[in-house]
Amino acid sequence: MHRCNLRLKRVREVRWLRLVGSPLRLGLLKLRENRIMTTTTTTTMTSRRRRRLDLLLFLSVFTFAILLSPALSSSSDTDLIILSKVDRRVDLSTQIVRITTSLKVENTGSDPVSEILVSIPDMQGKHLAYLKAALREGKGKGKASGVGLPINVAQLKDAPPALTLYSVSLPKGLGKGESLNLDVLTVFTHVLEPFPQKITQADIQLLVFQDSAYYLSPYTVKAQSLTIKLPDARIESYTKLETTKLQGSELKYGPYENLPPFSYLPIVVHFENNHPFAVAKELVREIEISHWGNVQITEHYSLVHGGAQSEGEFSRLDYQARPYVRGASAFRSLVAKLPPRAHSVYYRDEIGNISTSNLWGDSKKTQLEIEPRYPMFGGWKTEFTIGYGLPLQDFLFGSDGKRFLNITFGSPMNELVIDTLFVKVVLPEGSKEISASVPFPVKQWQETKISHLNIAGRPVIVLEKSNVVPEHNEYFQVYYKFNSLSMLREPLMLISGFFFLFVAYIVYMRADLSISKSSASYLANLQWEEVQATVQQLHNIISRCLKTHDKLEASLRDLSRTGDVQACKATRKSVDTLLKELSKELKPLVAFLQSSPQASQVFPKVEELVVKEKDLQERVMAKHSTVVDCYEKKLGGREIENRVASHQQKITALRQEVDDLMDIIDEI
Amino acid sequence: MAPKAIGSPVPDAWYPTLSVFTLAIGLVLTAFFFIYEATTSRKTRSLAQELTTAAVASFFLGFGSLFLLLASGVYV
Repeated sequence: MHRCNLRLKRVREVRWLRLVGSPLRLGLLKLRENRIMTTTTTTTMTSRRRRRLDLLLFLSVFTFAILLSPALSSSSDTDLIILSKVDRRVDLSTQIVRITTSLKVENTGSDPVSEILVSIPDMQGKHLAYLKAALREGKGKGKASGVGLPINVAQLKDAPPALTLYSVSLPKGLGKGESLNLDVLTVFTHVLEPFPQKITQADIQLLVFQDSAYYLSPYTVKAQSLTIKLPDARIESYTKLETTKLQGSELKYGPYENLPPFSYLPIVVHFENNHPFAVAKELVREIEISHWGNVQITEHYSLVHGGAQSEGEFSRLDYQARPYVRGASAFRSLVAKLPPRAHSVYYRDEIGNISTSNLWGDSKKTQLEIEPRYPMFGGWKTEFTIGYGLPLQDFLFGSDGKRFLNITFGSPMNELVIDTLFVKVVLPEGSKEISASVPFPVKQWQETKISHLNIAGRPVIVLEKSNVVPEHNEYFQVYYKFNSLSMLREPLMLISGFFFLFVAYIVYMRADLSISKSSASYLANLQWEEVQATVQQLHNIISRCLKTHDKLEASLRDLSRTGDVQACKATRKSVDTLLKELSKELKPLVAFLQSSPQASQVFPKVEELVVKEKDLQERVMAKHSTVVDCYEKKLGGREIENRVASHQQKITALRQEVDDLMDIIDEI
Repeated sequence: MAPKAIGSPVPDAWYPTLSVFTLAIGLVLTAFFFIYEATTSRKTRSLAQELTTAAVASFFLGFGSLFLLLASGVYV
């Protein structure tokens, strides 16, 4: 029944091709016949699916044929160069298609050549994420130098329209008869088409990859081969040519020899691939620098499973019981490789923390394994945020008065395709002359972000890039100027905040907030405050008096030690004037307290204090005069002591009383 | 000139200790300020002393709270 259907269709196709009438296409048809033979031997697919696959293959073959038709004349420029050996390795083990092409370029013309053209068909070209060409030193499998050569889009008159040409500029011209080895790495995303497009929970995911068995080049290729590395799983079908070999999971085409420019031979591989097809529709990476010692990275993922769409209902029970059979196409976890010494790692979404994550690290890296809240099937989406802090000194450097951040561009997730990536570098407030240097073209603009303790906001430089693959995880730099004193902005804000509170309190304590300014209690309070203030002043004056007494005593001690009577007299004189001033100051205060009704309770004590102090003062003076007198008369030490003894006794007693009274008054 | 790594002016590990000490000093000064405010009368209070105490206290409280923020992971 199937065979019958297919044969019918083939008849229809042949008829259609005859209408178009191209010998080349008939060749392609032969190729397709082979393929059909292989598909009919497999029994797993339903007839409906197979018909769809045939149609798809036919359409793709048709497009290639169109692409090919006008390409057979070559210009004189491209005649000079021949590719003596081309090795292509296509890696299909993940969702990202990486094609490594090693070219051996020979110049057969007489003029030196400085540019080499690399062509990519538009069908793949629109999914091109990354293109790098590097010279390989030495013979055979020498080590490729890491530095990529400059690449520009080029135009060629005779090239077919559905091709994009890139010209690789060589560091020095390739002279006559010379040859060089060139490694070209191209990385494509979304090139693997799931087929069938919709599968159920129990199905495996099958993918279709289309390419040419011949290296599509504007130059003549002498010898070439193609190796396709497939994941270790079932291979549904592949285009069988005479030279095709399948070794384990590697599919080999070639070698082919002496092919003209723009030779093309479409091949199709249909295979199983259950690797995670994690595609970030949008990823916002925010890198916030704090000069207080931290680089904070926050990544907002909006993730989707980019493989075959899931169809039918999802049974958690089936999935839980046999996850690798009932859910082979789903992925349950992702691994992020964070820089070493990452700290404060979190993994959360809008609901809150997601606890299904693991973190382990060593001196070279920190590894974070996260599990979304549910297994991800085709077309399912999830959103989450991961964040981590990094030590500042690992990423921030200074040279020539400028500072620069040196950090990787892409996401730390393994084998993740990012459709749109925004990298926002948030610099500290007060940064000036900001510029970014990224090793590939990006869209960039500036914003401001208000964060903790900011007034004007922090300057943000935003870099936007679409179609990002792990190869873009290169270091980029953001340069800016920053004055170290600007670091003090945040503490100054905090300090002024606290100071404002204190000042507010001072003002509150000084403000008179009573409503009725004439009430008795208010007035009494006012008077009492005045009395308090007066008593305080009085207390201060008396304590100053006591200090001058001490000074006199000290001068007497000096006298007994040195015998310098003149110095002692001078001190006495200054003390006399000081005490006179103090007693003058004391008078109005005592008078006020006497007259104030509020002070009636306090006054007796105050009066007693004043009297006792006066008494003390007199005694001290008397003692001083006696001693000085004795010295002038050159009397003996015992004689002086006898004369002073009565004074001394009195002074000690009075001083004690005065001190007690001072304590009482101090408490008022 | 070769690029030189730029780090924090104060090692990260010191933040908790620094915040405890500066906040302690700040709070003691705050207490002193309020005791002074409560024990002196309106006539005898000295504005200069109030302001100095307030300034020194707010300096220590400001840096203390900054170090507290940094120690708790809010990098300002």
